[in-house]
Amino acid sequence: MTAKGRVNLKNICKRFGSFVALDHIDLEIEPVEFFALLGPSGSGKTTTLRMIAGLDSPDEGVIEVDGVDVTHAPPGERDIAMVFQNYALYPHMTVRDNIAFPLKMDRVAAADIKRLVLQAAETVDIDHLLDRRPGQLSGGQQQRCALARAIIRQPKLFLLDEPLSNLDAQLRLQTRVELKKLQRSLNVTAIYVTHDQEEAMTLADRMAVFLDGAIMQIGTPEEVFNRPRTIQVAAFIGSPPMNLLPANLQGTTLTIEGRDFELSAAPPTQAESVIMGTRPSHVRIDPNGIPAQLYLSENLGESYLLNLYLGEHLVKVRVAEMLGVTDGDTVPISFDVNAIHLFDANTGLRIERG
Amino acid sequence: MLVSAASLLLLVWVFPLLWAILVSLKSENEVLAYPPNLIFEPIAQNYKDALFGDFSIVPSLVTSTIVAVSTTFLTIVLAVPAAYAFARLRLPAKKTLGFYTLATQMVPPVGLVIPYFLILNRVNWLDTYQGMIIVYLTFSLPFAIWLMVSYMEDIPLEMEEAALLDKASRLQTLWHIIIPQVRGGIAVTVIFVFLNAWNEFLFAVQLGGNTVRPVTVAMYNFVSVEQTLWAKLAAAALIAMLPVVIIGIAAQKQIVKGLTVGAVKGGGRR
Ligand SMILES: Nc1ncnc2c1ncn2[C@@H]1O[C@H](COP(=O)(O)OP(=O)(O)O)[C@@H](O)[C@H]1O
Ligand SMILES: [Mg+2]
Repeated sequence: MTAKGRVNLKNICKRFGSFVALDHIDLEIEPVEFFALLGPSGSGKTTTLRMIAGLDSPDEGVIEVDGVDVTHAPPGERDIAMVFQNYALYPHMTVRDNIAFPLKMDRVAAADIKRLVLQAAETVDIDHLLDRRPGQLSGGQQQRCALARAIIRQPKLFLLDEPLSNLDAQLRLQTRVELKKLQRSLNVTAIYVTHDQEEAMTLADRMAVFLDGAIMQIGTPEEVFNRPRTIQVAAFIGSPPMNLLPANLQGTTLTIEGRDFELSAAPPTQAESVIMGTRPSHVRIDPNGIPAQLYLSENLGESYLLNLYLGEHLVKVRVAEMLGVTDGDTVPISFDVNAIHLFDANTGLRIERG
Repeated sequence: MLVSAASLLLLVWVFPLLWAILVSLKSENEVLAYPPNLIFEPIAQNYKDALFGDFSIVPSLVTSTIVAVSTTFLTIVLAVPAAYAFARLRLPAKKTLGFYTLATQMVPPVGLVIPYFLILNRVNWLDTYQGMIIVYLTFSLPFAIWLMVSYMEDIPLEMEEAALLDKASRLQTLWHIIIPQVRGGIAVTVIFVFLNAWNEFLFAVQLGGNTVRPVTVAMYNFVSVEQTLWAKLAAAALIAMLPVVIIGIAAQKQIVKGLTVGAVKGGGRR
């Protein structure tokens, strides 16, 4: 038996009036994968999820689940469960009735419903709350109730729209781990919407980075983090994201703020005008470096983050110790040029180096 | 300051009621005595006459009940799905619903009596239950839909979408998810529609008459050219008021909420 829960989005386009919310999206999600849709708010993640669920239909393109075209199938026929951002629990029903609702609508026998509800509630640890109403639950308990309602019918696909965003920070971390375990144990495809890259990084097997209604990059968290495909992805991923500085490239010579750096090999590009990207932890304080102005230092606990002005460009540098510099000082910095990322300034695309 | 103002208002409002109670306990002669006697022997005869006398209002109480209950029932059955459609679907008429509702409340009823009379006459429904109820529906439906829309718009859309994903049909969603959450709104609507239909006089007297003679019209029998039977009229009025008072006391909270919900949120005009 082939695994179930493969999702294909082909050339999906969605407009709200004249506003293009999704601009020709292609996406293939493998069975049993934990797939994250990551992007800033308003980038089209929820819209994508709603179309997979059947709550919206695309203006163009095809949606397939396990090879079957479901583009215009009603939500009830898709065998998909969804956890909404605000949980959408039915306030007039007890937790028990909430969890049982999908089975009741599916005409499952009462005895089976009773057993399955208890089982689902135990899975997410709310079996002691079955007789309460949603209004009498804490945020975390409501979230679990929504999870239980989603898992009870063992759907093909499990959609989650920012399920952790309404929880406080501590609970969020804890629930994140449990969510991942739950998905593994259920052996089901999960599509997870979030604007929090840390969530996407830790949870997802693969992810798609959304920006302004387009997918910038699809890949594993490592791929996206280590080899961002465009300047926009580079500017979004990482906290803080990498520094991006304009530079000039001539063969193996990279010129940043008037200073030449020698690369070990010439990058495979004709472009002279490039953008150099480097993570804050890859910038060094170097007596022979380019002088920069320390504008503000932030204590992050385990490290310090220095905000420096290199010419007119803000550069963030992560250091273990302050090394006696204070705000307002001139601090010389240098880059490990063989660890940097290069992007074509005109196309915005990554220049892959051998 | 506020309390004394409120007391004054209450006094003004309650005076006719007190007067009616006093009059209903007097004999017809005593009613007309001048100066009025504040000390008198209360009698129950007027109530007996109003209920069991020649002009018994009991049959018309039955009529009123039939008309008011039917109007209320039909209003709810039609208004709930209609309000759901207005609240959820993108209908072109949505914006004008609020205006139309207000318009029906602003037109002086007298202006509508004649057209309604002519229409009912044409279809031979004058003095019939169906004629009376349909006329009442033309007033109660827009109002009920408008009121219910504001309740339904309060329910987050995701709630329904969750139900649809849970394999509920539109109707099941309405029944299991929406209606239980707007019970308060339905209660308010029931109360308002029932009371309006129960208290209505103008249309009842013009479009009804013999077969359909609600209690408001029947009481009119105590007023004749030669004399007005004030004591019996007062007794009948108090009996007819009873359901109104009971509902008012029982549903005080809902009524206040219903009066404010439209005002605060602008109802269906959003
Ligand atoms: N029903 C709608 N009508 C109009 N615009 C919408 C609608 N739904 C979403 N949008 C717009 O589409 C864009 C993408 O929205 P959404 O998919 O919700 O973003 P997010 O990535 O934050 O989930 C946003 O700019 C949003 O304002
Ligand atoms: Mg969203």
